[in-house]
Amino acid sequence: MFVSAPDRRLARDLDPAALATLAERTRPVAASRTRLLPVAPPLAGLLPDRALRRGSTLTVGRPGDDGALSIALSLVSAASASGSWCALVGHPGLGAVAAADLGVDLGRLAILPRPGAAWAEVTAAVLEGVDLVVLCPPFAPRPAMARRLVARARERRAVLIVVPGRAGWPEPPDLQLRVDEAVWEGVDAGRGHLRRRRMTVTATGRRSAAHPEQRRLWLPGPDGAVAAVGDPLDPAA
Amino acid sequence: MDRLLVVRCPDLLEEDEGGAVLRTFAEVIAAVEAYCPWVTAVRCGICSLPARGPARYFGGEDALAEIVQEAAGQVTPAEVGVADGLFAAVLAAGRGLIVPAGGTPAFLAPLPVALLGQDDLTGLLDRLGIRTLGGFADLPDPHVLGRFGADGAHAHRVAGGRSGELADLRQPRVARLLAGGAADDAPMVAEPGFWGGVSDADARAARCLAAAQELLGADGVVTVRLQGGRSPAERARFVTWTAGERPRGAIPGAMRPATMPGAPWPGQIPAPAPAVVHPDLIRADLADVRGEPVRVSARGLLTAAPDRLSVEGGPWEPLSGWAGPWPSDERWWSRSRRRGARLQAVTARGAHLLLVERGHWWVEATYG
Repeated sequence: MFVSAPDRRLARDLDPAALATLAERTRPVAASRTRLLPVAPPLAGLLPDRALRRGSTLTVGRPGDDGALSIALSLVSAASASGSWCALVGHPGLGAVAAADLGVDLGRLAILPRPGAAWAEVTAAVLEGVDLVVLCPPFAPRPAMARRLVARARERRAVLIVVPGRAGWPEPPDLQLRVDEAVWEGVDAGRGHLRRRRMTVTATGRRSAAHPEQRRLWLPGPDGAVAAVGDPLDPAA
Repeated sequence: MDRLLVVRCPDLLEEDEGGAVLRTFAEVIAAVEAYCPWVTAVRCGICSLPARGPARYFGGEDALAEIVQEAAGQVTPAEVGVADGLFAAVLAAGRGLIVPAGGTPAFLAPLPVALLGQDDLTGLLDRLGIRTLGGFADLPDPHVLGRFGADGAHAHRVAGGRSGELADLRQPRVARLLAGGAADDAPMVAEPGFWGGVSDADARAARCLAAAQELLGADGVVTVRLQGGRSPAERARFVTWTAGERPRGAIPGAMRPATMPGAPWPGQIPAPAPAVVHPDLIRADLADVRGEPVRVSARGLLTAAPDRLSVEGGPWEPLSGWAGPWPSDERWWSRSRRRGARLQAVTARGAHLLLVERGHWWVEATYG
């Protein structure tokens, strides 16, 4: 009550011009809540808004990059956990335990493992109603096809995360993530077991190309989740 | 399209009021699940399971069908068939046939159009003089779409063996009642919080996923649940996505590995889990420092330290590390007295989970 009372007095006392200024100042804040989808904190530094911008397209990994699917899954995990629907299109071999451990809510994950020749049409359909779509194109996309999907994501305010693999992706994305280094820890000659993977991920934006962001991550960490290397709270450090 | 084995119990196709039929059907599912995981109730009296993995372990689809038929037959008369996609597999079961891989279009071709169960469509086709699924499948796509609409176009793909199943083949209520097998009494329910019209996001997602099912067939959109098991593949259960259903609570035995120290699955590979579980095992070769193949002895020990790995006949890649072996004796293996083991192998390009059985190495999963 004591918070809203001064606000009301403020609104009554101010002239229309000042109100417009006030509205202008507060609007972007309100809009930004719906404009962005959350990401796991260790990944935030890679993204220009420290979150996923609705309507944007990202690519993850180059051909042969180890860990591209893990990055894509960790990108959607926080949004998934906070109620967004995700779809995985074109990947017939999702490791469901790994996805759950990265924080993806399997109850809101639809998997379209083998869309075949209809992959682009199906991806467009799914972008209509799902917040985050991870696409692994089964075939090399034609530029017009890719452009159409990028436009659809923008129009529907979804996030399209493409894992191009060998098929490639002909459109420059809003943000490109690549794996610069990936090293597994925990195994020796016959002893131990895979414990965690240290990964250096670099993000290059379309506009901020001069300032690529780089982060060192445990992906996955020993508990299967993503963590920042050197994070004092990281139990693995 | 997936190779599916279907069990059809002719005496259990109609539900009774007291639920005795469904209880018997649940016993059938439990009997089959003793040999193969991933058994799904399709509708009353009909259940299916992916044939590829179990067929490999049992030494072929014939052997698998025989074992499943015997298991189900202990409970009630049962017919078993294998084909590509659910529609053809159900028809194959009714005829006790194993339709060879790729042979589904030829199997469907001479069968009557009425099997699609769409009276309007059957009537229209009859007037065109088309009475078999093959005759319908031969119509060109654009012609079918223009004349019979989206439903007709989907039925057309099913008739030609290009799509797996018809939307109304499944009885989701039965699948729900029996989800997870007879021993699993965690029912799937509509959660008001998610599906009672409260969440607009859920409704939007449901609409677009249904649209994707129109394009791909119902089995083209799946969802996954975790369950107990040793291997990454065993611990995930993929089911056809159905609007309005979410599992309530945890499935018994389904826990995150981090919260599941060791027991109750001895032989389980420690966390973290691989991000990619290959739907079909990939052939691999593992050699020691002299280039000799590495084997696993009867006591579960490696015959030599592995030094290099080749995947699918590709170039040899040196191992930077490896761990294991972990014994893997799944239920079906113990029956046929086969033993296997798993090994983690790291190369410069990534880490794999390898499986060895009967002297052959396979890539089962990749820590992608």
